[in-house]
Amino acid sequence: MAQVIEAEHLVKRYGDFEAVHGIDFSVSEGACFGLLGPNGAGKSTTIRMICCLAEVSSGRLTVLGHEAHPGNLTIKRQLGVVSQEDYLDPSLTVRENVELHGRFYGMGYREAKSRAQELLVFLQLEEKGSEQVRSLSGGMRRRAVIARALMGRPRLLILDEPTTGLDPQARILVWRKIRELKQEGVTILLTTHYMDEAQRLADDLVVIDHGTILERGTPGDLINRVVGTECLEIAECDPGYGQSLVDSIQLLQVVSDWQGDSLMLFSSDMDPVIARLQEEKLLPTQYYRRRASLEDVFLRLTGRDLRE
Amino acid sequence: MTANQRWSHGALMVFRRNFLAWVKYYKSSILLNFGEPLTNLLALGFGLGAYVATMAGVPFVDFIGPGLLAVTAMNAVTFDMTFEAYDRLNENGIYQAMITAPLTVPQIVAGEYLWEAFRSLLYGSVFLFVLLLLGLVHSWWALLVPLPLVVTGIMFSGPALLVAARARNHEQLFYYFTLVITPMFMFSGVFFPIARLPLLVRDIIILTPLFHVVNVVRALVLGHLYGGLLWDVAWIIGYVALFSWLPIRTLKRRLTG
Ligand SMILES: Nc1ncnc2c1ncn2[C@@H]1O[C@H](COP(=O)(O)OP(=O)(O)OP(=O)(O)O)[C@@H](O)[C@H]1O
Ligand SMILES: [Mg+2]
Repeated sequence: MAQVIEAEHLVKRYGDFEAVHGIDFSVSEGACFGLLGPNGAGKSTTIRMICCLAEVSSGRLTVLGHEAHPGNLTIKRQLGVVSQEDYLDPSLTVRENVELHGRFYGMGYREAKSRAQELLVFLQLEEKGSEQVRSLSGGMRRRAVIARALMGRPRLLILDEPTTGLDPQARILVWRKIRELKQEGVTILLTTHYMDEAQRLADDLVVIDHGTILERGTPGDLINRVVGTECLEIAECDPGYGQSLVDSIQLLQVVSDWQGDSLMLFSSDMDPVIARLQEEKLLPTQYYRRRASLEDVFLRLTGRDLRE
Repeated sequence: MTANQRWSHGALMVFRRNFLAWVKYYKSSILLNFGEPLTNLLALGFGLGAYVATMAGVPFVDFIGPGLLAVTAMNAVTFDMTFEAYDRLNENGIYQAMITAPLTVPQIVAGEYLWEAFRSLLYGSVFLFVLLLLGLVHSWWALLVPLPLVVTGIMFSGPALLVAARARNHEQLFYYFTLVITPMFMFSGVFFPIARLPLLVRDIIILTPLFHVVNVVRALVLGHLYGGLLWDVAWIIGYVALFSWLPIRTLKRRLTG
């Protein structure tokens, strides 16, 4: 299948600082591709290059078959962008913001009007249509930005933390729209700090940190490979006790990881682990057995230190 | 797909954005833009005019009226292209949203110039109407005043937008007013002819854009036309050509850094 985005040794420098450090990835047509990573990892910087808003410092970046560089209108015309910052016009109403954006894409008055109406209804913003943007709540602003990004009927939709600040209902709404767009064949690039969201939506993803790719694969594949399918979670675990637990199951296929003061034991074959702990009389009275998630993978890969 | 990808369409949509924003507060905007020049006209023209009587052969108030008209246009443009443009770039991400949608920096700049031409035309024309009501318009040539208004609207936009694009905070915008706009306002022949100033000062004033606009507008309003005006027109056109591209590079750097 054709590649919609292809990055080879992609580098972005700001002065002496290298924000993106030579990354390679490709996004195939019709896929939803997740770009995950902690704060400051270089996600938005990569996205700015894809959107033709920032110069590529070195390496190659093709988007929809064209070389990405600032001012490449051929690419820009086929993109819809939800940037991390809202960039809504506070002097205009919600409807005006959305309509005008369509006009920037070259739409006529009538077409922009009816398309905006359609999108406002979908994102349940119709009642807020004639309100000034500055009177909207954070989540409503975000929905307006999503409506705006869809105005130009993009072939490639770029979503930089689209659901930050949304309530659960609105998030489900946006997920539905994303799936609908995928069915229509739209390719999607998604960054998010909600791992459940990435797990639900992404067909394929990379985890980056400090401008470098740490891992790549499908969510399921990453979970299997990096941690294992199941997790035994022991909350408020004493470090010494935790260590003895880990020691006792050394010979089994277990990955252990501390998340705060909780000990996580991951394995794709959990029954023998529990049996072993029971034998050793180390199994705590309170534990929680669950499926491992992408969040576990993320924390395992990027460590538990807070960024910046 | 019926998308309109003509270059001018993009620039017109930038104009449209400003228009949509402006209609929401035009009443206070008009008041703001007239308060000061009108006060100047009334206080200086009739107050000071009672003592000064004539200036360069015409009643003082008739002399400064057209000058203040030119200043009104200059200020209407300059305020918008400094403070408002600064916010569009640094506070609200309006240019960022435009550039993310497929608009280019030259289209944005052209759209802004078009808008400022409109502002200059509008505020200048209303001021002309006030002069008419006060009996200070003396010639049918005044009907041509909108023409220089449009051109000077564009002329004053370029440098102001450059300042807005380079400024790091609002304070730095005030420097532009203190160091450029206000001195021009005081010395460029609005209140007195420059003929009796020292030669060096005169040479400097001749370099200021406002001076030439004042000459042209005054000539049209008073009906005193003379050949030297062609020089003023040439200066104005030259400045438009020179200034118009000024902010493009800086804006490109700011928006696609
Ligand atoms: N214009 C700039 N000049 C200098 N450094 C920059 C610039 N933009 C970003 N950076 C730096 O590049 C790094 C990557 O930033 P980026 O915004 O891409 O991170 P991110 O992965 O999107 O993070 P977040 O999850 O917080 O949005 C950061 O260290 C940031 O400080
Ligand atoms: Mg970011």
